[in-house]
Formats: sequence, C-alpha cells, structure tokens
Amino acid sequence: MIPQRLENALNEGIRQIGQIAIHPDTAGAAFALCHIDDSDSLDELEIHRGPSVARDISTWAADGHYRFTKGELSLKSGWLLLLSDINELRQALDLFYPASLGLWIAEQDGTIAIQNLREKLDRQTGMYKFAKNISDNGAQQLVREVCGPGNCCVKKILWQLDEATPLEDSEASRYNGIVGDTDKAIPLFCREACNHFVAEARKVSKAEHEAASQGS
Amino acid sequence: MLFIPKPDAALLIVGHGSTENPDSSTPYFDHAEEIRSRGLFGEVHCCFWKEEPSIREARFLIDAKEVYVVPDFISEGYFTQEVIPRELELTAATTQIHGKTWHYTKPVGVHPSMTDILTRRALEVAPGVDPAETTVFVVGHGTGLNQNSTKAVRDQAELIKNSGVGYAEVLDAYMEEQPFIAEWATIAKTPNVVVVPFFIADGLHSYQDIPVLLGIEKDEGEAASQREVFRQNPYHLRDKTLYYSSAIGTGRLMADVILDLVDDFDKHQLTALP
Repeated sequence: MIPQRLENALNEGIRQIGQIAIHPDTAGAAFALCHIDDSDSLDELEIHRGPSVARDISTWAADGHYRFTKGELSLKSGWLLLLSDINELRQALDLFYPASLGLWIAEQDGTIAIQNLREKLDRQTGMYKFAKNISDNGAQQLVREVCGPGNCCVKKILWQLDEATPLEDSEASRYNGIVGDTDKAIPLFCREACNHFVAEARKVSKAEHEAASQGS
Repeated sequence: MLFIPKPDAALLIVGHGSTENPDSSTPYFDHAEEIRSRGLFGEVHCCFWKEEPSIREARFLIDAKEVYVVPDFISEGYFTQEVIPRELELTAATTQIHGKTWHYTKPVGVHPSMTDILTRRALEVAPGVDPAETTVFVVGHGTGLNQNSTKAVRDQAELIKNSGVGYAEVLDAYMEEQPFIAEWATIAKTPNVVVVPFFIADGLHSYQDIPVLLGIEKDEGEAASQREVFRQNPYHLRDKTLYYSSAIGTGRLMADVILDLVDDFDKHQLTALP
C-alpha cells in the first residue's frame, strides 16, 4: 500500500521528492511541504492547507508558463503546504509528481515494467502514428533536447531505444532522478517516454521525411 | 439514485487534458474531488492523454484491487474505443491485468442524464427567451478518425428537441465536419440562437475556436482572455441574437453522471468498448 510504504520511507529518513522538501510534524501539521530552496525559511512562507492546493501550486512556473510536464525543474517557491495525515501527504505528492510514489515502489519491487521507445512509438495511432518513423539518430538527439535537467525534466530515464540499443551517454540519460546532492530523496522515474516526447518525435519524424523527400 | 459505497474499489476518471491550457483538466479534478468528498470509493484518481498522470501510469496511482474506469469524454469514439483501452490494456468490459480487476464504463456524454444538463445550460444562458423563437445548436468536435464520434452529439440534439421545452429547432453541428457550426446563421431559421459546446472542459475549443467560427471573436484572439466570451451575451450579429454557453462538463452535476455510469456498469455491464 502506497501510504504505508511512504510512511516507512519517512521513518527511515526520506525527506525529499523532486523539488519538494517533506517536513514531518511541522507548523502544527503532521506534514509540511515546501520548495527545497525554502527549507531554511519556513516562517516566511505563505501558508496553504489541504492536498488539492498542490495542483494550484504546481500548475504555473514562476515565469508564468504552464507546467504540463510535472517533472520540470520549475516548481515555484514561497509556499508552505500543511497536511493533516499520511493520506493527505500521498494525495498532495501525487498532484506534484503524478504517479511518482507508485513508480518508485514498483521500481523497488521489480514490477515497474519498462517500455522501450520503439515499442511505445509502434503502438501509437491517429496523428501520432508517424512518430514511429523517427531514425535512431533522431531519437537519440531528441532525448538530449527534450529530457534531463537541462531541459527541465528531473526524472531518471529507465527506457532504451529498444532491447539492444541503450540511450547514448548524455546529461539526460545519466540523470538519477534526484534534485541536488542527497541520499534522503525518493527518485523520480520515467518508465516509458511521455506523450510530450512522442509529440516531439512526430515532429522530428516528419522533418526527417521531408528532408529525405527533398534530397531524392 | 442511492449509490452504495465501494470502500475497497478505486475510481479512475480519464480525461483528455492539454499541453497548452490547464483549465482543460480542471473539471476532471473537480469531479474527482466532489466524489472523494462523498466518501464513496476507497480511492479516486484522474489520469489524462495529454497531461500527467498519463493513462499509462494510472495503475501506479492505485492501491485497490478493483478499479472502475470512467471515460470523462463526450462520445464513444476514437479515445474511448481505441486510445484508453490500448493504454490501459483493457480487452473486455472487465479485464484482469497487472494484478487488478478493471471495469470499463460508458463515457459520460452518452448517459441519458446529459440531456437534462444540456437543456438546463441552454435555458440558463438565454433567460426569458421564447423557446419557440429559438434554435439550439449542440456543438461537437467532429473527426474523421471514428464515425461514432458524432453520434452522442446527434443523439442529445434529438433528445433535447423531444424534451418538451418547445425549442423551434435543436440541431447538432461540428467544428471539423458537416454540418459546420460556422454556418449557424444560414442553418438557423429563428431570430434567437443558443450555442452549447458539448465538451467536458472549457479550453481552446470553447474559448477561441468555436467563437471564431461563430464570428464573435477574431482569429487572433488571446486564449488567455477566454472567459469573457461567455459574459457578453447576447451577441447581435448576422441579423440574429446569439447566446453562447460555456462547456457543459464544468458543473458539479457531472459527478452524479459518473456515479450513474458505475451503477449502470454494475447492473448491466454497460461499457465503452465496441
């Protein structure tokens, strides 16, 4: 059960996930969450209560752009979210980093069932069907351009292009899913390419096709 | 309807979502919160095609061994019959996979109670307007990907027409296939016209695309100034008086529709799978 596994992890000293610091028994609440950069100034933060506020806090970045991928390295700061129990904590974390707790547990249990990129692209239909025509080079390049902390996604990529083709070495493929230098964090995992990546793969695939047509 | 609580089951609400507009997913979270507050399921979660959590990763949100999957979509079409079953690996009305039992219900848009919600919205947006002098357009997206996509819109237009409110005409129209909503003023023969977008969420389609097709917004309109479009009724153009409604799925009554669909599944195994 996710709440129990989360509670066990907290008892073992886990205090972070993504850009969020978890403070047990703080400010009169069972749990208080804040941006990791704000942990030393809890008294100065704007106080919110209840898990559903997590969606409001995580929707917009400080510069005003819409964070439609939640693994972005752009969580705004300045807030303190108070939660009354482990279930509220779990619900809030599922809004900040959707499914990340379940993926972390599945990774620990060996049930995460990674899906490689070619398999993911091969099952697309409709307008995304064309994405599967992307070349290996195009896909490797796209990982460097779309994934990893340099492009705002702080998940650890678990997938390869296919069974025999690992991702080429880059900051994105090397990233461990933990923001900052700590061993007290739950890592964020990427078990299959996200739909944003698929949409970008479709664009690259079309560009490759057009370039080949013009060249022939 | 008295809904018997299911403390050992999870409810999974599936929506489309958007990479451009967070308002698109707001109704789904509202529906989830409303049902969660009633304590009817052990867990209530949302997942999306275009946002996170993705449909693929939804199973990692859920502890329960039994899951009711409700497509919070208007029509039985491409998404409900192809995309959602494929992403969740559902092969029948009830599927056993990944250590859980998954029940897949009908989408909200085809439920009979949607007729009341649409009719109520049409009456609210044009208060005091004589139905006998009014044409109502129920507007859907329309797509060449699946022929069923327009059926829910067509059916609801017919049901509202026969609902006894007395509208002169109730018609279905679409953004991307015939009959086109852009031709509303030619199609409607009455002085008053009410346009209800049959979409779950207010998003670019209801803020911008349909208003542009109606002629009440300019093409280059800012998507961010969005809600104003619903506050300026009525519009006087093309020799008619036009009333434009927000999307229907934003109401709390939608939570009841979701529960009805779960109940329909339990009693009659009604599913979105073809």
